[in-house]
Amino acid sequence: MMRYLRWIVLLVAIVLMAYPLGWMIAVSLRTSEGLNLRYYADVWNSGPFDRYFINSLAVAAVVVLGNIVFCTMAGYAFARYRIRGGKLLFFLVLSTIMLPKQVILVPLYIEMQRLGLIDSYWALTLPFLVDPFNIFLIRQYLLGIPTDCEEAARIDGAGELFILFRVVFPMLTPVLAVVAIHTTLTNWNSFLFPFILTNSTSMRTLPVGLALLAQGAYSIDWGHLMAGAVLSALPVVVAFLIFQRRIIGGLTTGMTR
Amino acid sequence: MSRRRRVSPVVWLLLPWALVYGAFFVFPFLFSFVLGFLHYNPLNVANTTFVGAGNVTRLFGDADFHSALRNTLFFVIGTVPVTTTLALALAWLLHAPLPMKDAFKAAMFLPSILSVVVIALLFKLFYAPGGALNETLRALGLQTHGWLTDPATALPAIMAMDIWAAVGYYALVLYAAFTSIPESLYEAATLEGAGHWATFRHVTLPMLKPALGFVLVMTQGGPLGSTNTLVMMLYDTAFRRLDYGYSSVIAYAVFILSGVFSVFALRRMRSQTPVQQRGMPA
Repeated sequence: MMRYLRWIVLLVAIVLMAYPLGWMIAVSLRTSEGLNLRYYADVWNSGPFDRYFINSLAVAAVVVLGNIVFCTMAGYAFARYRIRGGKLLFFLVLSTIMLPKQVILVPLYIEMQRLGLIDSYWALTLPFLVDPFNIFLIRQYLLGIPTDCEEAARIDGAGELFILFRVVFPMLTPVLAVVAIHTTLTNWNSFLFPFILTNSTSMRTLPVGLALLAQGAYSIDWGHLMAGAVLSALPVVVAFLIFQRRIIGGLTTGMTR
Repeated sequence: MSRRRRVSPVVWLLLPWALVYGAFFVFPFLFSFVLGFLHYNPLNVANTTFVGAGNVTRLFGDADFHSALRNTLFFVIGTVPVTTTLALALAWLLHAPLPMKDAFKAAMFLPSILSVVVIALLFKLFYAPGGALNETLRALGLQTHGWLTDPATALPAIMAMDIWAAVGYYALVLYAAFTSIPESLYEAATLEGAGHWATFRHVTLPMLKPALGFVLVMTQGGPLGSTNTLVMMLYDTAFRRLDYGYSSVIAYAVFILSGVFSVFALRRMRSQTPVQQRGMPA
């Protein structure tokens, strides 16, 4: 009895939460000729939307790859080596996790401008290649697994590179999945930095393109705007629905070990 | 010999991080500090002047800064308790053998994979004339309202959006903490004759403390960043008014505020449990 009451209360709460989302989808599908995908076609054909899409995809791919390789290296160093001043270095890593990145928005913009990298893929990827949070995750994970395999490989005469990428790397699969998910989501959804660091239409990513759509031609045209919003969210939503158990587990409990 | 072998791999292992961190965090961070002492207009670099602490005194007297600070505080005080309580309630409801549990969890997680832009547009429509909220009110025979245009309701409306975006994720974090409480504790409580409330108060809540601490700490940042009003001001000062020097001082104010908070957060987390979980930054 109690169980059904719980279930009903939860269902009501979730329906309430889903209400704005449902409304958004309804608005994006309801055109003057009934329900169809016209707004979606319009937005997609509005010129650069497919370009935004490709940009977002390419930038996310590079940033995720960079984080997987570079954060594994740093996390491994922090977990397995006694480094002089290592405590201080790791404290630096931790403190960057907690600080709001917006603080460096203006100086980073000036720096990129001086380097001539504004409005390039470099500006969209370079500053985000090593997320300190991922270093932290990988280090914590490594501290929880024994060094036996690495020692055995070392006794067999394996070099450090071999040990890192052939022995340690495969053991990191669970935490690297979390790293990949976290980085993909953060990067795919990031708005402020891509917005500041690019200025031509051809370099915009999806969230920036969407925000521009909302300020430009479609500012009060809800149908087109919502179609754009749904389109930009669709890839992560689909990926989420496929991997939902792993994603929810990874981002809520995955790090308890 | 052995010393060299221990030290040299560390250098190349840390090199990519050190380069990115140095070039795109430490350098701009220090550069910003210097900018704070200057009057610097990018369109008129030749006229850059040294103003000393001028930008700082200006900040303390700036009514815009005061109101941004007030809004930020109001935002945090208004959203954190609501988000935490709602998340706890949802997690408790979910912690039972229920049909369709995975679907519920997916629905609760969904807002946290959406970008700020999508969420902002979604709620702009939600509150708009002819949007979901006003249409529902109209259908119920109630008065409609310009939620975002009326200054009295604009901030609460945005706070509601923030709670909407955050609550599901924190509910799932707390739910994960619920499931890790050993069943034996509940059995012991039942044997002692503890009722529902007593069990919750004396078994569940203490066991949830680390996770609750985490939620309290993280929600203050908000998925959309509770410092939003301050960051908006920073952006406006820099890119609309082209006053880079002053914007750097605002940035440092944001940095100090969140720094004070981080120290508190780190201490709190360390005193209770090793840092375990963290959400996604907005």
